[in-house]
Amino acid sequence: MNLSLHPLILLLIFPGGLFLMNIGLLYEWADRKLVARFQSRVGPRWFQPFADTIKLLAKEEIIPNGVHKIMFLALPIIALTGALTAAQYIPMFGFEASFSFEGDLIVVLYMLSMMTLSIGLAGANTLSRFTIIGATRALTQMFSYEAPFLLALLSPAIAAGTWNIGKINTFTGENIWLILAQPIGFIVAVVGLMGKLELPPFDAPEAETEIVAGALTEYSGRGLALFHIGKNVELVIGLTLVVIFYLGGIANPIEFILKSAGLFLVVTALQSMFARLRIDQTVGLWWRLGALMGLLQLLAIIFGRYLGEILR
Amino acid sequence: MTEAKKEKFIVPIGPQHPALKEPGNFEFTVDGEIVTDAAVRLGFVHRGIEKACENRNYTQDLYLLERVCGICSHVHATAFVLGVEKLAGVQAPPRAEAIRVLAAELERIHSHLLWFGVAAHEAGFDTLFMYTWRDREVVMDILETLSGSRVHYSVNILGGVKIDVDQKLSDLIKKDMDFLEERTEYYMKVVTTDDTFLGRTRGIGTLSKDRAKLLGAVGPTARASGVKRDIRVNAPYSGYKEFPVKMVIDQTGDLEARFVVRLKELYESYRLIREILEKIQPGEITTRIKRKIPEGEVISRVEAPRGELFYYIKSNGTEMPDRVKVRTPSLCNWGTITDVAVGHKLADMPMLLAGIDPCFSCNDRMVEIRSDSQPSQMMNWDGLRKYGIEYYR
Repeated sequence: MNLSLHPLILLLIFPGGLFLMNIGLLYEWADRKLVARFQSRVGPRWFQPFADTIKLLAKEEIIPNGVHKIMFLALPIIALTGALTAAQYIPMFGFEASFSFEGDLIVVLYMLSMMTLSIGLAGANTLSRFTIIGATRALTQMFSYEAPFLLALLSPAIAAGTWNIGKINTFTGENIWLILAQPIGFIVAVVGLMGKLELPPFDAPEAETEIVAGALTEYSGRGLALFHIGKNVELVIGLTLVVIFYLGGIANPIEFILKSAGLFLVVTALQSMFARLRIDQTVGLWWRLGALMGLLQLLAIIFGRYLGEILR
Repeated sequence: MTEAKKEKFIVPIGPQHPALKEPGNFEFTVDGEIVTDAAVRLGFVHRGIEKACENRNYTQDLYLLERVCGICSHVHATAFVLGVEKLAGVQAPPRAEAIRVLAAELERIHSHLLWFGVAAHEAGFDTLFMYTWRDREVVMDILETLSGSRVHYSVNILGGVKIDVDQKLSDLIKKDMDFLEERTEYYMKVVTTDDTFLGRTRGIGTLSKDRAKLLGAVGPTARASGVKRDIRVNAPYSGYKEFPVKMVIDQTGDLEARFVVRLKELYESYRLIREILEKIQPGEITTRIKRKIPEGEVISRVEAPRGELFYYIKSNGTEMPDRVKVRTPSLCNWGTITDVAVGHKLADMPMLLAGIDPCFSCNDRMVEIRSDSQPSQMMNWDGLRKYGIEYYR
């Protein structure tokens, strides 16, 4: 579905900017509520994430001693900007992407990594012992999931023969759902997404029983709120990406809602099924298993395409 | 850089920390993620209960000592009551002894389930945490129906118990035991087969039999290392003479073994509770006991959910005890943590801490450090007050 609006509206209000942030908060609520129900708890009411965010935004931001002030203030903004910019290249909510060019997939993936990088820097910037350990773990985790996640998103791109997310969307919409053709890639992508978002069981970087809140321990008020919003936006984008690549693409808003809700159920179920992995276990899992599986998938796709060329 | 390299990187856990809901301070020196040194500091919640006991009579002490621990309140009262009864030369009626054991085993179930949830939470397995605590409500409800209170049930009085079990209640408890047994089967399956959970417990914090003996470990911590230490079996007291229990032993000594031992103890508790309800004899539940306890001293040992609980009571022939000394099981187990922590990852530390089922408020002590340079000093109240004001000025 095409959307012809003024570019500024596209950027600031819909589908980017404000709307995306609110949807992100709604996703956070859905995430918390679903996990709570899986754990036989009641869970928060729908406006809880909104209330939390407004409260945090209104609160005083405490800058601890010994930090680089500009960096401390800029990092949450950079993280959020990265996530919001990435959204511009993705056909969000079933509408065509606001901007697109050949190879925007790579840009989006880099933009999404800004969040983890910012969190890592934010942790290393403060002097607290918890944040430093949190930052080390966050960056270690990034190096472990990033390659398999990239491989898992690359195989559909190679199958489609384009690195433009919009065109991949059209391709997956016209062909058989790639979850059936590339099941390994789907698993790697979903689990990679969970690692990226530091969701349980990959939440070692913010393991509350060991290092309080990890890299963000010293953040309060506005900075914390912006990091939270950024993370929620990443959740929306990540789920949308996986839906586009593996669940037959998004042609209209209804398809978007149904497919992301289905994927969301899987992700929340996975969140409540496992004990937290130690950081060394996470790295081991990704490099011993995830990367190999992703690579295998990629080779299979390339071989398949090669075979197709010959037969034709 | 060379300066910084020499400095130790110490990660403090506690006294205020999300991992520990009770105040205790642990300092782990880490090299990257590997722990190279560990230290324990206690004493944040010292309440002076032992001293307070000396100013109250035996009946009042009973209620005070129940409040030593919010989880195992009944065993504290039992240990005290058994000691005082021995001093007074009074024997509680058999039905009362059986009800004491019944309450003790219900308490063990609730304590072990509570621990199980906390340990799962430390491992980041919140679903298991929520499930166990939901099921724990069943046993809490039984305790409430039985005694009128969820936490401090006050089952004991000097010379007997104050609650009784009728047929209706007995049927209810039996039904709930069936439910809990079924749930425990499920938890056993999770603990022994779930890969992510095993990754956090198997081979972690292994305590050998010799070390456990040397460090004086007690309770499930010792039993998981193959040390045969269970007061209910070694020196049966109260109703355990009539209703014996089987000791649960594991040889591995790692965290998984501690989980397994505690879960198997739950089975044993379910069995014992059913047996008591089947075989309990009708009769009196109290005998008379004098207010003044004859002069003498006594040692009373019982098996709390966390291990051996030790009471020393000295009477001077009046209504008030001359001295009450409590040694709680957590105090005996701290040494095992600092011993096994070195070489493990920082992420394992909360699990290791939870592994001994620590209870902080009941083991805090006042420590007097005597050095050669400074003579030890006595302070009166005014002096102490002045010292405190000066110290924080």
